[in-house]
Amino acid sequence: MSEKKEKQAVNEFNQVMKPVSLWADAWKRLRKNKMALISLYIVSFYIIVTLFAPLLTKAGIIYDYREQTISNASLPPSFKPAGQLVIKKLEARIADLERTLEEQKAEEAANGPSGSYGFDFGAVPGTETETADQSAEVDPNLNFSLDFGGHGTDTESSSNPLVRELGYQKEALEKVKTEMNTNPGYQKVYVLGTDDLGRDMLARVIYGGRISILIGIVGTLTAALVGILIGSVSGYVGGWLDNLLMRFVDIMYGLPYMLIVIIIMAMIGEKARGSFVILFVAIALVSWLTIARVVRGQIISLKNSEFVEAARSMGASTPRIIFRHLLPNTLGVIVVFSTLLMPSFIMNESFLSYLGLGVSAPNASWGTLVSEGVRAMEFFTWQLLAPAVAMTLFLFCMNFLGDGLRDALDPQSKNRT
Amino acid sequence: MARYFIRRALSLIPTLFVIVTLSFFLIRLAPGGPFAREKDVPEFILQNLLKRYHMDEPLGKQYLRYLGDILRWDLGPSFRYRDLSVNEIIDKGLPVSMTLGVTSLVLAVVSGIAVGIISALRQNKWPDYVAVSIAVIGISVPLFVMGPILQLFVGMRWKILPMGQWISVHGIKAIILPALTLSFPYFAYIARLSRASILEVLRSDYIRTARAKGLKESMVVWKHVLKGALLPVVTYLGPAFSGIVVGSVVVETTFLIPGIGRPFVQSALNRDYTLIMGEVIVYSVILIFANLVVDLIYGLLDPRISYK
Repeated sequence: MSEKKEKQAVNEFNQVMKPVSLWADAWKRLRKNKMALISLYIVSFYIIVTLFAPLLTKAGIIYDYREQTISNASLPPSFKPAGQLVIKKLEARIADLERTLEEQKAEEAANGPSGSYGFDFGAVPGTETETADQSAEVDPNLNFSLDFGGHGTDTESSSNPLVRELGYQKEALEKVKTEMNTNPGYQKVYVLGTDDLGRDMLARVIYGGRISILIGIVGTLTAALVGILIGSVSGYVGGWLDNLLMRFVDIMYGLPYMLIVIIIMAMIGEKARGSFVILFVAIALVSWLTIARVVRGQIISLKNSEFVEAARSMGASTPRIIFRHLLPNTLGVIVVFSTLLMPSFIMNESFLSYLGLGVSAPNASWGTLVSEGVRAMEFFTWQLLAPAVAMTLFLFCMNFLGDGLRDALDPQSKNRT
Repeated sequence: MARYFIRRALSLIPTLFVIVTLSFFLIRLAPGGPFAREKDVPEFILQNLLKRYHMDEPLGKQYLRYLGDILRWDLGPSFRYRDLSVNEIIDKGLPVSMTLGVTSLVLAVVSGIAVGIISALRQNKWPDYVAVSIAVIGISVPLFVMGPILQLFVGMRWKILPMGQWISVHGIKAIILPALTLSFPYFAYIARLSRASILEVLRSDYIRTARAKGLKESMVVWKHVLKGALLPVVTYLGPAFSGIVVGSVVVETTFLIPGIGRPFVQSALNRDYTLIMGEVIVYSVILIFANLVVDLIYGLLDPRISYK
């Protein structure tokens, strides 16, 4: 009876006095650190938005990230409805074409027809039937170029494609103007623009973040669990087991681990890569090392302290000592390292996706979006900037939060109240 | 010292052995061979192909053969680039990658320490705030975001520097953007690290003694503070170098640099067995020796460490 009571007292001492005061204290410090606090809010916002992304889609707040509206391809970010942007784009293109044609006309008038246009579109005319009435509208131009064709070498094929395109564009413009109010596609508002298939960039960035953050969280948890287990056992038991485990960790440290992950990703092939579970495993398998070392160091420094001796003298078993007494005291360090591990996870995953070795279509992570954006960055800058900025902001906040937590939970700090 | 060096060098052999073994079996046990894509190859040609690359032998024999080849530094023929051997690809790319890597490392260390000193000596004044903010940004911006954005603005829009490719095409200017991109995260980390450790050293007793002796402030900083404060930076050189080596894969891909990084990614996508293995071995040797060198430098700088 009395023994049980004493055990409870120890328990209570550990639970009520130590952990609660530590965490409450840490929270108090964190609140003083403005940057860390802002980062915490932003990170929470990201996590909530990405977590509830399917609900947001259902509620109609964001569009479906897979929905392709080809007519709205590559529109810039704007709060105006898509139809207006499409009209603006078409008008710009038409003005451009007309100017080029003017220049060509002037040039040809000055130099006479030249044979410098090497391409031959001779096979194209007549293939599209629906533009028949439209070509009548641009007949003056067409006739003009045909006139030239009479005494030139191959002028017909040189000016024809531009004129034909002008016709198509004008037709498309008319079509958009008439459908403006009836076609729901033109009513859409793309705050972050669209990609080359007319998908909403905002939705793409949110769903990309969903995968990236998911990989970050699950990977971190896996790495932390493995690291805690191996580190604590190695530190507490010591002796040959410690030696063996730590030599193993040393050798693993020597491995260029991103290269090993690249090998794994390359070897499992494209099909299996679609399920990004393997990506978790591949990255997590090689990133528990630091946590294991840190936890081991903490446990070794704590295992000879009085409270552990007290627990042992009362007959507590080894697992109980490790999990009830030692680990709660190292939790601060673990939390800090995990917070800093998560951005590195996200970076590594995106690194692989950027190289084409990570998450594959139809799934897309931030890394995939960035690498797609890079291909289009010359003309459609937002396709690169939207995912890049979203990702960088998140990583920035995670790093700030990790630093803030380290300051707040600093075990070396002496002036704790 | 010499004995320590030899012992450390010998202890690298098991690590290398593990790397070779692990990657060999990872690659061989994976489903689908390097010729799996060529579906309409007749059976007897496939057999000949397999024989040509000794892939018809039992796995153990292949492994032993490969170990023997590596000891003679013969990395075998590439599976995809049929007329090139892995040695040729690496010989051609390695100088380029090493130039990029070493330039980036030097850039990161020099500018990182400089910014660290400035911000520590002006603690909580505006240079400090600027430096700390840049450092956090540097750690958070991934290479594959930094690279394309520099390419877009500096190379494409403002046309100040070439967008990509190497010295052989654009002259020495070509190295600036890739080296900036590659060194930025490590510059940021080194700046933070040296700032923190200089602040710590500035509070120590021996600095107070040096000042009490009446030494000039510049003398205190250069001779006393830096010597003590830069040890953590030296320790970080190992991880920084390995980060730069791995990061150069992305930077080389982004800037179209003819190093060993792009063949590595290609080999991973193409399942070019021998090329992947060769690249991994080369990268590992570089990393392991870099760590060894860092250990030795550390020992030279810190008299408290003795080698037995």
